[in-house]
Amino acid sequence: MSLLYELARGPLVWISVLVFLCGIAFRARQLFSLTSKKERIFCPARPAEKGSQSLPLTDEKKIERIVAFQNWLVGKNPVMAIISFVFHGCLFIAPLFALGHSLLVYESWKIVLPSLPDGLIDFLTIVLLACGFFFLMRRMFVPRVQAISSAYDYGVLFLTVVPFLTGFFAYHQWFDYKTVITLHMLAGEAMLIAIPFSKIGHMVFFFFVRILVGSETSFWRGNRTWSP
Amino acid sequence: MSQHIQQPVDEKKMNELLRQKKSRMKLCLAACAGCSLCADSCFLFRGHDKDPRYMPSYKVVHSLGTLYRRMGRVTRAQLEEMKELIWRNCVLCGRCYCPFGIDIPYMIAFARRILRTQGIYGMYPHTVGGPEAERRDSASPQGG
Repeated sequence: MSLLYELARGPLVWISVLVFLCGIAFRARQLFSLTSKKERIFCPARPAEKGSQSLPLTDEKKIERIVAFQNWLVGKNPVMAIISFVFHGCLFIAPLFALGHSLLVYESWKIVLPSLPDGLIDFLTIVLLACGFFFLMRRMFVPRVQAISSAYDYGVLFLTVVPFLTGFFAYHQWFDYKTVITLHMLAGEAMLIAIPFSKIGHMVFFFFVRILVGSETSFWRGNRTWSP
Repeated sequence: MSQHIQQPVDEKKMNELLRQKKSRMKLCLAACAGCSLCADSCFLFRGHDKDPRYMPSYKVVHSLGTLYRRMGRVTRAQLEEMKELIWRNCVLCGRCYCPFGIDIPYMIAFARRILRTQGIYGMYPHTVGGPEAERRDSASPQGG
């Protein structure tokens, strides 16, 4: 175990970070090469209607807003939308702002990173694990999710949640600390390596497509297009 | 229809097309997290008692996904099953919504293109001029 521990805290960290960064760069490059710059279309600006901003909220506008809300993910499937948002928020915040991680960075390179109180990180981890359990139940029992789930999907969920579960155990010093912390490091490294090359790669895809590719569902007018 | 079932699958033709858009399609398939949030955006899913077979991601995963996973090594019976998914269960209205921005209709249209290379077409009840309609017409006593 001590050899594995030394490996996990030494060379494997570098390997996983390197694979993660190179993988992300590869995926980003791939996305850029698969899309091309969109031709800019100049449209004459429509003159703004006088006083349109100060119009009272008519029934028509109210209905328009209700329809827009219902077509929005939060309006259609509020529970799933909120849980997904919370899960992904915790997924980023908990590891990046954990005091233990910041201390390791400080001890290695004397770089001070911002951190959040331990109690809060602990709470975020519990929330994340609860969300993970919700996703597992959904995958197992909701027919529409079950229909498109394979062992791979369960594996991806497992890979995402295990670093947090072992981190939680390590923080509370449950079970044998050295075994748990070794597993925590190995699970974190496995997740980092898997990000660019598995379904967790939706992390890169999501931001690229929603921000850079211009479509009806983009966050704003993107300047790239899928068509060659 | 039975004539087509007898024909062997032309893997070469299919692989040619599969390779043509391999990077993009595989990337889109890999980006699908299987969240099933696209389901409610499909009116056919909602209109068929929320049957998962009408879910946009199901249609893609079990047609194009299977074709890429097996790289064309599929039987004609499997292709016929795919035909049901991408023609009968989808009208390509383009209203499906993916939270990750995956262009589902584009993928289904591509799967249709691949199946057409094997002589598999979607036949709607009143289709005129399609291969099945032509055969039906020529087989009937009144048909030319």
